[in-house]
Amino acid sequence: MRPLTRDDGMQRTWTDGRVTSEVAAQFIKPNDRLDSFDRLQIYNQQYWWRLLGNFAEDFRGLRAVLGERQFDKLAVAYLDHCGSQSWTLRDLGSRLEEFLRAHPELAAPQSALALDMVRVEWARTVAFDEAETPPLPANKVRNIPPELLRLGLQPYVVLLELKHPIDHLLGKLKRRAEIETGSVSNAVSGVRARPRRRLTTRPSRSPIYLAVHRHKFSVYYKRLAPEAFRLLCALRKGAPLDKACEIAFSFSSDSPEVMAEKVQSWFAAWMSFGWLTRPPAV
Amino acid sequence: MPASRFNAFTDYGIGIGLRIPHYQHILEKKPVVDWFEIISENYMVDAGRPLHVLDQILEQYRVVQHGVSMYFGNASRPNRDHLRKLKKLVKRTHTPWLSDHLCWGSVDGRYTHDLLPMPYTWEAVETTAANIREVRDFVEVPIAVENVSSYAEFHMSEMSEWEFLNEVVERADCGILLDVNNIYVSSKNHGFDPQIYVDAVPADRIAQIHVAGHSKFEKYILDTHDHPVLDPVWKLYAHAIERVGRTATLLEWDDRIPSFQDVHREALKAARFLPNDEAVAA
Repeated sequence: MRPLTRDDGMQRTWTDGRVTSEVAAQFIKPNDRLDSFDRLQIYNQQYWWRLLGNFAEDFRGLRAVLGERQFDKLAVAYLDHCGSQSWTLRDLGSRLEEFLRAHPELAAPQSALALDMVRVEWARTVAFDEAETPPLPANKVRNIPPELLRLGLQPYVVLLELKHPIDHLLGKLKRRAEIETGSVSNAVSGVRARPRRRLTTRPSRSPIYLAVHRHKFSVYYKRLAPEAFRLLCALRKGAPLDKACEIAFSFSSDSPEVMAEKVQSWFAAWMSFGWLTRPPAV
Repeated sequence: MPASRFNAFTDYGIGIGLRIPHYQHILEKKPVVDWFEIISENYMVDAGRPLHVLDQILEQYRVVQHGVSMYFGNASRPNRDHLRKLKKLVKRTHTPWLSDHLCWGSVDGRYTHDLLPMPYTWEAVETTAANIREVRDFVEVPIAVENVSSYAEFHMSEMSEWEFLNEVVERADCGILLDVNNIYVSSKNHGFDPQIYVDAVPADRIAQIHVAGHSKFEKYILDTHDHPVLDPVWKLYAHAIERVGRTATLLEWDDRIPSFQDVHREALKAARFLPNDEAVAA
């Protein structure tokens, strides 16, 4: 389906340059109130309004970062290029990161921030309903030597390295939405009438390591130490525990005792969240 | 019909669609409702809150699955990944029958997420019936196909919509989910007598009936499911019940959803037209 015109109508020219009304008349019957063009246009409009509505729901953060006009332009470009390739609308944004990397100009000058936002917002979708496998009980791993111990990570845990504090930014957006919603029932219209400022933030001085995960059916963000992030990434890639620790602390000047202490406390937290599982079958 | 092989010989009364804004009310107050219809796709996920809520609903209520993206009328065969997920959900819900629409909606791997009207041709009859049989044989529950509302008709059609429906269900040997609101909407958009439609469909294949609200525009009617059921639709429902007998009836309300009580009250209006008053008690 080709994008709508500026006034939300169907394009007057067909893909091959013919007049759309003439093409429509070849296969759609007119009636006493609507010609073939008008009847086809109803479907064209419904398609775009439905997909754009769903896309905007899924990427509220991106919308707040880019502002309405730029967001709409990006949404139309993305949906025109990628469309929906799944029977479920849940997957509508699955290729947005890839698309935005290929077309950073669509989010300029906020391309880097927009990309971080898209990655976190898609991670939210994954964390919300991705599969959960039985967590690994501590007693099952206690006696396995580190060089033999391989662990899996819950599919709903998404690990991200970010340039911007997106978790804080989304918190700010949530608070803003709560304030606006709270004003609906009152006669005061000032908060809602004011034009929305774009949501923005400066890049962080150092990378932010974030786990987007699910706990008790809600999605949460958990910041990770760089070493913890590298450890989890290595475990997910299938490295045994000793190798994963080696990768995690490759840039660290910590003593072996401090490293052991850190690993122990991280594992205690991850086990309590139920993040660790048996490694996926090869 | 009240109980037939097309609804697994069940005798369900008046149900309503299970919608997110009502989750809390239903789980906390446990209102008496004969059955809930769920949109299958909303629960065809691997884990997370949707399935957690569904499991709680299943502990208390009877649930029937209704799909929106199987697209029986597609030129291609049903998507295997979709079928596998659907069957997994069927095993979870124990739905006595399963419904989806008489329409197409995707081509070459691109999905419209719309219920697109079909050209009523003999070729389409064969393709559609084969797809329905394939779905039924895979999921192993009776299938009921729902007539959609439409805004366009094709020059190439070789029969009326109701003749097409009859030919499809006869060849697929499946049931019908008769949506009387959709019949009414299409009758106004295409200029036919809705009673002729209702009189033409085989009563013994009607597994379920849908009622819903719609929106009137200057030149056409749109199936919006965001209003109470309008009088002409209730009249058509009464006519259908007169012909078919007591049949499982479902009110669809998908947009601008009011309170649970309002939706349920609206649905129970159907009891006025049912042959006995058991449904009122339900």
